[in-house]
Amino acid sequence: MSDSAASPALETRGLHKRYGAVHALRGIDLSVRRGEMFALLGPNGAGKTTLFSILATLLRPSEGEARVLGFDSARERVQVRQRIGIVFQEPALEGKLSVRDNLYLMGLFYGLSSRAARARAIELLRTLGLEEVAGREAQKLSGGQKRRVELARALVATPELLFLDEATLGLDVDARRQFWAEVRRYVGTGGTVFLTTHYMDEAEPADRIALIDHGRIIALGSPQELKARVGGGILLLATDDDAQAATWLREHGHHPEVSERGVLLVEPEPATVLPALLASLPVRTRRAEVHEPSLEDVFLKLTGRALEGSPAGPAPRAAGGRP
Amino acid sequence: MRGLFAVVMLDLKRLWVDRVRLVSSLIQPLLYLFVLGSGLGASSTLGGKGYLHYIYPGVLGLSLLFSAVFAAMLIVFDRQIGFLKAVLVAPVSRFAIALGKILSGALQALVPATVLLVLLPLLGLDLSLPAFVELVGAMLLAAITFSALGVATAARFRSTTVFPIISNAVLLPMFFLSGALYPLDRAPIWLRLLAHADPVAYAVDLMRGAVLGRTVYPPLLSIAVLVGFIVVLTWLATRVFAAGEDT
Ligand SMILES: Nc1ncnc2c1ncn2[C@@H]1O[C@H](COP(=O)(O)OP(=O)(O)OP(=O)(O)O)[C@@H](O)[C@H]1O
Ligand SMILES: [Mg+2]
Repeated sequence: MSDSAASPALETRGLHKRYGAVHALRGIDLSVRRGEMFALLGPNGAGKTTLFSILATLLRPSEGEARVLGFDSARERVQVRQRIGIVFQEPALEGKLSVRDNLYLMGLFYGLSSRAARARAIELLRTLGLEEVAGREAQKLSGGQKRRVELARALVATPELLFLDEATLGLDVDARRQFWAEVRRYVGTGGTVFLTTHYMDEAEPADRIALIDHGRIIALGSPQELKARVGGGILLLATDDDAQAATWLREHGHHPEVSERGVLLVEPEPATVLPALLASLPVRTRRAEVHEPSLEDVFLKLTGRALEGSPAGPAPRAAGGRP
Repeated sequence: MRGLFAVVMLDLKRLWVDRVRLVSSLIQPLLYLFVLGSGLGASSTLGGKGYLHYIYPGVLGLSLLFSAVFAAMLIVFDRQIGFLKAVLVAPVSRFAIALGKILSGALQALVPATVLLVLLPLLGLDLSLPAFVELVGAMLLAAITFSALGVATAARFRSTTVFPIISNAVLLPMFFLSGALYPLDRAPIWLRLLAHADPVAYAVDLMRGAVLGRTVYPPLLSIAVLVGFIVVLTWLATRVFAAGEDT
């Protein structure tokens, strides 16, 4: 405990993971400070759950090393497990048992006495506003309530580090807001959070964000740093023929990216160049938009692809393959 | 120790709230007994009550085997829905998880077996107290062996599609080989040889010894073999759980 208290919350070196022929992680080097809220943002299949599972002691890396709170996540699993709480991408509650029993049993799994586990369950139900549903079967809860119970389950053993894998997948705006308010409260008490998501707006409140794509970290920094990396403001043009507009722009010394939202340009002074562009573009512009770069723009700029599956608004995605 | 308690507690609470499973596990042994007893008994040379007494330990074995393995198969289901992960990331030793699963499976299998035990007087079988204790001891040993077999197998699988394959390709042959329904010592030699490798044969023989007072194998040998199976299977199950999601 004494020497691990000074170590970073998470540290990986040269992490690789292969599933047979699939090279899911291709050299991940990360360091997460204690007390930090750290987000791993990337599209489907980027390797988020794989990295998450290695850190959470469920998978062994094919190469490299991961240390969690100073302990090796493959060799000192028990020490790591005692100190972390996890909300999985898939639901992990026993649907037929009551909410209270789910929490009580997890308390037992984390070494609490029967009496202490009961007390802890009651305490968590109160702080998370779940008292009314305490006696209800977990399978009969709403999606948002379920996720809050999963959060409560992860917090049973008062972990130093909380792992959240796509924790609000499929929730509506309200339920998501409530969930993140609870997570922020946990961070407020000094906890560290490592979360994965493909919603930009969920990564936004994080202290630092790592963008992951094809098993590699392609950018890392605070949201402000990442956005500054784009190198200017965003000019988005929706035209009658985006491809032709992009070709023309390229011929005239710009570096456009085409996405389903339109043609995207990064300009130091987007509002200033806009009138001239509108006048000289060979195709009609239906809509022009100037905004500060979003994380979506950062991803598009770095990869030339949209953060697939990331909705413009916070509406839950129907696709995704997992319930 | 707490980990072991947690694993067993979880499974027992789940059985308790799953009324369908609980009720069917109470009814299932009655079906076995009456279908097997009347159907086979009618066409048997042993005939009538005698045959019923003869197959009673066999029915106990059948009930224990299928209930224990079925309870273990819920591990596969848990893995498939993702619930098992929540258990596997807990700071509980893998040995405690394996042993806890084995003990909880054995307890679950003993529910229907207890119903059969209660029926003993109705079948016109009255056992002396020592014989009854012997029978209960043999049942406990059988339940733990079958549960260990189930857990060591189920821990390896990721999909519930293996259930029917296991019950048809593994459990039924094990049961029919065991001499639960006919006297092994009158069976052809190849069958007797195969039965030597079948834990169900030893378990049924041990229970039959308690009921009828005669056995095919020396009781001490049966006990040693069953304990051996339990140790090896528990070790195997621990190893699979220790590998986590990787295996
Ligand atoms: N058990 C497995 N066997 C083989 N390939 C796998 C396995 N798990 C993941 N993969 C592959 O590894 C890659 C990374 O998957 P991973 O689940 O880590 O992505 P992800 O970023 O979490 O995606 P999502 O946003 O869809 O959850 C994908 O190409 C996936 O198909
Ligand atoms: Mg994932």
